[in-house]
Amino acid sequence: MRAYELMKETLSRKIYIYIVHLSWFAIYGLFFTLRVHEEEKFHQILFIWGGFFLPLALSAGIFGDDISSGRICVVATKPFWLGELYIYRLLGLSLQAAVHFFITGCLLLIIHGITGLGYIDDLNSWLFCSWLLFNTWAAISTSISVVVKRAYNFVFLLAVVLFFAFLNSSLGWNNPDDTMTKVISAFGKYVCPPFTLLTRMVEGEYSKYSLIVGKYSSIKAVACVTHTLILTVFYSFFGVLLLSRRQFACSRE
Amino acid sequence: MIRNDNKQTMVVECEQLTKVFRKLLAGRSKDVCALQSISLSVVEGQIVGLVGPNGAGKSTLLNLMAGLIFPTEGRVSVCGHPARSIEARSGLGYMPEHPAFLGRYSAWATLRYHGALLGLSRQTISAQIDKLTEQLQMDEYIDRPCSDFSQGMKQRLALAIALMNDPSFLLLDEPSNGLDPIGIIQLRDLLKKLRDAGTAIVISSHRLGELEKLTSDYIFLYRGEVVSFGDKIAADRVGRLHVGLVSNANQIAKKLLSPAKLLNSSETELVIAVGDEDEVPDIVSSLVKGGARITSIQLQKEDIEDVFLRLYNERN
Repeated sequence: MRAYELMKETLSRKIYIYIVHLSWFAIYGLFFTLRVHEEEKFHQILFIWGGFFLPLALSAGIFGDDISSGRICVVATKPFWLGELYIYRLLGLSLQAAVHFFITGCLLLIIHGITGLGYIDDLNSWLFCSWLLFNTWAAISTSISVVVKRAYNFVFLLAVVLFFAFLNSSLGWNNPDDTMTKVISAFGKYVCPPFTLLTRMVEGEYSKYSLIVGKYSSIKAVACVTHTLILTVFYSFFGVLLLSRRQFACSRE
Repeated sequence: MIRNDNKQTMVVECEQLTKVFRKLLAGRSKDVCALQSISLSVVEGQIVGLVGPNGAGKSTLLNLMAGLIFPTEGRVSVCGHPARSIEARSGLGYMPEHPAFLGRYSAWATLRYHGALLGLSRQTISAQIDKLTEQLQMDEYIDRPCSDFSQGMKQRLALAIALMNDPSFLLLDEPSNGLDPIGIIQLRDLLKKLRDAGTAIVISSHRLGELEKLTSDYIFLYRGEVVSFGDKIAADRVGRLHVGLVSNANQIAKKLLSPAKLLNSSETELVIAVGDEDEVPDIVSSLVKGGARITSIQLQKEDIEDVFLRLYNERN
């Protein structure tokens, strides 16, 4: 009952959640049919838009709104471990995203079936990877929401991503063989949300190192998925820790 | 210590409670000591009124008891458990000063949500919602979204949330804010019933007249310190004896009364401070012996507002 209510709340807390979902469907549909980019590139658009921007939009203020309105003060006096609050809300987001990507897949297949437009090869793999990426970003954004107001949540994460991207590319451009460049690159690849790892996995780049021949090497794919899930848990850990340790002053005199 | 009767179970106990808001975390220019070495206890079936001017530390004390903030020093225990523990929270009902709800949820959905957080079963939640809806007369708007609620409706809903688990300890921050006169009377009756059923209740309120109708146990806070406890406030209450005289009241007062006792005087009336009702016959007798011709006598006891004002003025 508690789990159900907390997960349901992630969808029904604000009307804009529904608007985000519908807007995202429209955006996918547009990119899929208008051929603005090369057809193969659509999957990367789906990956970034659904895996990175969607979690930021859905999780913005997921705790920040409660904290700034004072609603958290009543919730936090209820007799349960506050980590549950975080875990079920994150699971709610993850479930929402799973349904979102399922509907996306169905919509794109219908559009393709009717109009013949778009490129549907590997679509299910891209949707699955988008969902995995969604989970990592949702965990980061939800954790940040425990300490940052809604207005800064998105901006803060975007600034960090841009900073890392800039740092990585400028170092790589100037000193590709430098130790620091390699450390930052490895950090970006294995500790930050796994953009590269998942992209390479779904593009079949790991197959050549694999014991199993084929585009989707099972062992490497399982390793990538496990790594992504571990990262999600790792980011969530900080959110749970912050939530269970932080103070909630309802009204300051 | 307000009261510590051995026969009654201690519900809340605060020991040497100090709370300092650090400047870095609170976004202030300097550290603020919101509470300083406060020790108190509340037993079952007791209503305690927290009174004090703005910034006295009332809400901070409530937040500490609710386990929402951590003490800098000292400890708070609720039913023998640390304030933030799950065991302490299982018997707690908390109503904040400014209740907030999800605007899209109806009152019914909000109560169901909080019932679920409490770990109640579906059947218990439904039964509790029906009971509270009737008790707090929320039938008319139980299905309306909270975004449409007036302040009074919000207060009732917040109180219903606090009562969902039939708490043994209730913390209420300005519960009568925005309530109409009928709502205030209903709230008072409900709190009396809860008290009689053994619930310990701590109320922070600026409506001293309302508090006085509920309890005689007060904690007067001023700048983070307990200035006076309930029993002491009651004992310190000063009475005003209004004595009407035919004439020469000023002369008689100078002759018979000390300046500390004389609160006010005119040609035909004396206002005399009285610590105890037993003093009245002696005062009247001495006035008559001194030649006063008395036309009327009226003893007016200080109410809690007068006490509050006096204590506040003494410190300013």
